[in-house]
Amino acid sequence: MKKKVLATIVSAAMVATLLAGCSGAAAPAAPAAEAAPAATEEAAPAEEAPAEEAAPAADAAAGDLDFKIVVKSFQSSYWQAAVQGVNQAAEELGVKVECNGPNAESDIADQVNMLTNYINGAPSGIGLAACDQSACLDALQMAKDAGIPVVCFDSGCPDAPEGSVLSTIATDNYGAGATAAENLYAALKDSIASATAPVRIGEVNQESTSESITQRGLGFIDKFSELASADGKKVAVVGNEFYVNGAKDKGDEASADIIIEVAVPAQTTVELCATEASAIMNKSDVLGIFGSNQVAAEGILSANENLNKLGTEAGKDILAAGFDAGTVIKQAIKDGKMFGAVTQSPLAMGKTTVETLYKIANGETVSDIATDGYWYDNSNMDAPDIAPNLYD
Amino acid sequence: MEKKKVPAKIFKQEVIVFLVVIALLIFFCVASPDFRKYTTILTIMDYSYYIVLMAIGVAFPLITGGVDLSIGTGLVCYSLAGGYLIMFKGWPTGLAMIVSILFGLAIGTLNGILIGVMDLPPFLGTLCTCMITRGLGSICSKNTGISWPTTGQPGSWFRSIFKYETAGGTKIPLGFLWVLLLAIIMHFVLNHTKIGRYTIAIGSNKEAAILSGINVKFYHIMAYTISGLFAALASIAYSAVFKTVLPGTGAGFELEAIGGAIIGGVSATGGAGSIIGTFIGVFVICLLKTGLPFIGLQANWQQIVTGLVLIGSVMVDIIKKKREAKK
Amino acid sequence: MGEVILEMKKIDKSFPGVHALNNVDFEVKRGEVHALMGENGAGKSTLMKVLTGIYTKDSGTIIYEGKEVEFHSTREAQDAGIVIVHQELNMVGHLTVAQNIFIGREFKKGIRIDDKKMNEEAKKLFDRLNIDIDPTMTMSDLTVGKQQMCEIAKAISHDAKVIVFDEPSAALTEAEIEDLFKIIRDLREQQMGIVYISHRMDEIKVITDRVTVMRDGCYVGTLITEESTKDDIVNMMVGRVIYEEPKTQSQVAKDAPVVLKVEHLNAGRMVQDISFELHKGEILGFSGLMGAGRTETARAIFGADPKESGEIYVNGQPVTINSPEDAVRAGIGYLSEDRKRFGIVVQKTVAENTTMADLPNYMKGLFIDKKKEREVAKKFVDSLATKTPSVDQMVINLSGGNQQKVVIAKWLCKNCDILIFDEPTRGIDVGAKNEIYKLMNKLASEGKSIIMISSEMTEILRMSDRVVVMCEGRKTGELMIEDTTQEKIMNLATRDIN
Repeated sequence: MKKKVLATIVSAAMVATLLAGCSGAAAPAAPAAEAAPAATEEAAPAEEAPAEEAAPAADAAAGDLDFKIVVKSFQSSYWQAAVQGVNQAAEELGVKVECNGPNAESDIADQVNMLTNYINGAPSGIGLAACDQSACLDALQMAKDAGIPVVCFDSGCPDAPEGSVLSTIATDNYGAGATAAENLYAALKDSIASATAPVRIGEVNQESTSESITQRGLGFIDKFSELASADGKKVAVVGNEFYVNGAKDKGDEASADIIIEVAVPAQTTVELCATEASAIMNKSDVLGIFGSNQVAAEGILSANENLNKLGTEAGKDILAAGFDAGTVIKQAIKDGKMFGAVTQSPLAMGKTTVETLYKIANGETVSDIATDGYWYDNSNMDAPDIAPNLYD
Repeated sequence: MEKKKVPAKIFKQEVIVFLVVIALLIFFCVASPDFRKYTTILTIMDYSYYIVLMAIGVAFPLITGGVDLSIGTGLVCYSLAGGYLIMFKGWPTGLAMIVSILFGLAIGTLNGILIGVMDLPPFLGTLCTCMITRGLGSICSKNTGISWPTTGQPGSWFRSIFKYETAGGTKIPLGFLWVLLLAIIMHFVLNHTKIGRYTIAIGSNKEAAILSGINVKFYHIMAYTISGLFAALASIAYSAVFKTVLPGTGAGFELEAIGGAIIGGVSATGGAGSIIGTFIGVFVICLLKTGLPFIGLQANWQQIVTGLVLIGSVMVDIIKKKREAKK
Repeated sequence: MGEVILEMKKIDKSFPGVHALNNVDFEVKRGEVHALMGENGAGKSTLMKVLTGIYTKDSGTIIYEGKEVEFHSTREAQDAGIVIVHQELNMVGHLTVAQNIFIGREFKKGIRIDDKKMNEEAKKLFDRLNIDIDPTMTMSDLTVGKQQMCEIAKAISHDAKVIVFDEPSAALTEAEIEDLFKIIRDLREQQMGIVYISHRMDEIKVITDRVTVMRDGCYVGTLITEESTKDDIVNMMVGRVIYEEPKTQSQVAKDAPVVLKVEHLNAGRMVQDISFELHKGEILGFSGLMGAGRTETARAIFGADPKESGEIYVNGQPVTINSPEDAVRAGIGYLSEDRKRFGIVVQKTVAENTTMADLPNYMKGLFIDKKKEREVAKKFVDSLATKTPSVDQMVINLSGGNQQKVVIAKWLCKNCDILIFDEPTRGIDVGAKNEIYKLMNKLASEGKSIIMISSEMTEILRMSDRVVVMCEGRKTGELMIEDTTQEKIMNLATRDIN
């Protein structure tokens, strides 16, 4: 029942924003055709009513502000939560917001295209979660030339032209990856210390192009290496070239006590992540494995269906650390299949993005905002500071 | 005896592919100690079901001399539609599965009408439905990733159709039996029923089929309907194995299925093919897909190797044709 | 001959712009072989299509077994016992003989097709026709002649009472034609009505009882075969006497230089150790039966098929020809027997087809110089007397003979001095044939050298200055036209058989 209500809210909110966006110059997203008559009624007050009370006196009329948000995709419920946050803020502030995103996170070109279309429509501001750090650079220059402020969220664009991105709101992904490493290392410390032969830690990343995923992956690798080195163990990183070369110290496989093996599938689908995970988990020296987002973590769980090696008992089972939430991961943590996971706060991130764009429109100076990643496992899933971030 | 000449020829191709499968198995077993495990068999089976089912289906359009590019995105679309009904509407799993299958039949028939009646080139017609199903899938699922019931949740019984867990915890890849059974049934359909006979006739000499008084349009449509049906069955297998389905994915699945069918001896130009061969051919692809990561090959290299194997098998088909032409 | 089984009276049929059948009468009796003759486009096929329900007639009546009938599909006609054995073989190559014969009406056991019963029935059928073919063979493994037999068997298996043969002998060897005639005579014995469409005068004399001639969609008349001569029939067909005598003397100068010399050419089973010379201004006939390897030889010379060994000299210089492009560069043009597939692009205009091989010379910068293209096309339309309303006409709208002229224009435009004509008059009616012959003679007298592959003996005898005969992939003889007789050619063409 709860799910149903949530779904209705999410979809109604989406349809509302889409309808609102129709009045803008940019092309509406495909699902706009879905618009149910019922949604129209909700949409109207969302646009107008709060506008009068919300807008601070001397500033631009909030009703005239129109922001475009480009997400990485709608593939996972993570993004659904972010969009929910965006819509909450839009309603509170009484601004028009339109969300759009490509079909899959690997559709980099589609996303750039959407972004460019939005820029041509000259909105009041753009919120962007870039699929690829560098593919958006030209578009960002365009936005800068057109005087459209951009706020990056979820993933930053570190090489963006000076002055184009006014604020980056993101989980400290590097830190979040490190959080996973800290927790996993703490659980495995004794097994690593007592190991007589080299041991292996796996890592599955769905791709090696976006900032959020690569930072998480590298954050995990570097932190794990650092902790292990502090205990006098030698660490080597093998597998995908991007991560091997990006690690602070890639080490030497021959003499290492701990091998961190990184795998990246050719496409971002669960079954390909599962193939990669199962190749790693099949090795007998694996102690732990980390999946750096929802898709990768679900891939690990899918691989475990057959291998049945995951658990919570260090030394006996392979300990799996995931990222983000979703029913499959939450269920696995409850069942003791997955050791734990790091969650972000997509809802807050989406909300902050719109609030920041609003501030910019009102002439306020803004700076980067880092949101935290939280570790959760079976013991604290229901804690008040964690539970709201564990979306389905 | 001359009598067995025709089956013997097709049989040969199946034997060759079967030997390739065995050779690959041996190769991976030698190359990677981790490969030699019961769980590896389970994994290979898991990956094979949806591709085998798609391949059996797509063999029919291929044999008519056409192709069905919509099965990959179709699979995801049907799975999203069924999964959405379970996850958000609380439908029982069985009912949702029927919806998925009906959806597949409908899209398949649409393909058949576009190609068989409205005379669109198969490549173009199914490319259109490929895009349509990709979009429809996202709409059906309200743009979000869908999870079918996972083991332990209510309605997850359908997962044990494919993988049965005994009381002792041993997992049995039951799906292999069903998929093999379906392959045998469709092999029979292709070789011993009107639908199959006319599918071959259309691919071999459509004009002759028309002049023989066959309702070519109907049987042309049927070939694509079968393809749609099997894409829907594949969507159930995919949902059972991987649980999570993401909107926007699926493009590319069809290529693995088509590749498997062609490796298994379905002529790339139509008119001939074997379903049992297709069944075995898919395992070449699945073995490469699961085996290559075991020998430490990076994802991009895996795709290159799979592509090369496909080129090889298509070349065999072409060389064989040229030889026959010279005779 | 028995009573009339089929009678078509005052059949009229128009297509947009064409009055295809104009009050045509035609009848067939039980136990007779009735020839239907006429030039291409005379309306024979249209008449037969009206009969079997492919076309609907505008007016007229069809009386079959005493009742007026109208069929709406080949299926209905078949069920009533009227079947056509088509000129193009309508067989599904990947299926077996029995499966082909019973396609569309398979025996079934439940939902399963009963192949065993079909094989038995096919065997019975073949026994009845004295044909020795294994019903379980794959159709594409049979020779063309055997496939034709299967086609006939299929027709008869419908419980046929009237069988229409549409140019059945076009692709058969002499021996196969003999077998075919044997079967036709058997069928006549069994009191079937047989319609025999053919262009081959000698066959008409041998096998038929009566001849009905059509011209321009009209019924011209019916003759008793025994009582009429070849000339009678031809006169009725064309409305004028056109039969011409064979060439008696080579028209080539004694000292004419060799322009093309082929030595020890090998390319697969169909081209084995072929050597010959072609002189300037000569028409060199290539004779032989179907499948003798003549087309294969031409294609190998032209670079369309790979060669295994052998040398080619053009004007005394050795040339390497690995592709048609090389051949064209060496001045060789090839006019395929299958114009629609290899010769012309039917959906393009006369002008576009004319310059197709020589486009680089009709460019203005990056663009095609349409004006120049039309000018040269006009020039060739005039000099070849191509009948077309304009050079902008789509080639698909031209008749076979005029399409052939467009192909010739294409190669002349490219300035090819050596032209290989592969069956230059196939599918072209008698009047247009003459024009093509005249044109070839004119080209030869202008110094072009021509290799002419032909399966028609009269064509070989009438056109060639010299004749090369092939059999089963080998050159079996070379004759000066002065010494050539039909018998000598046949002797060489069948030398290795049996």
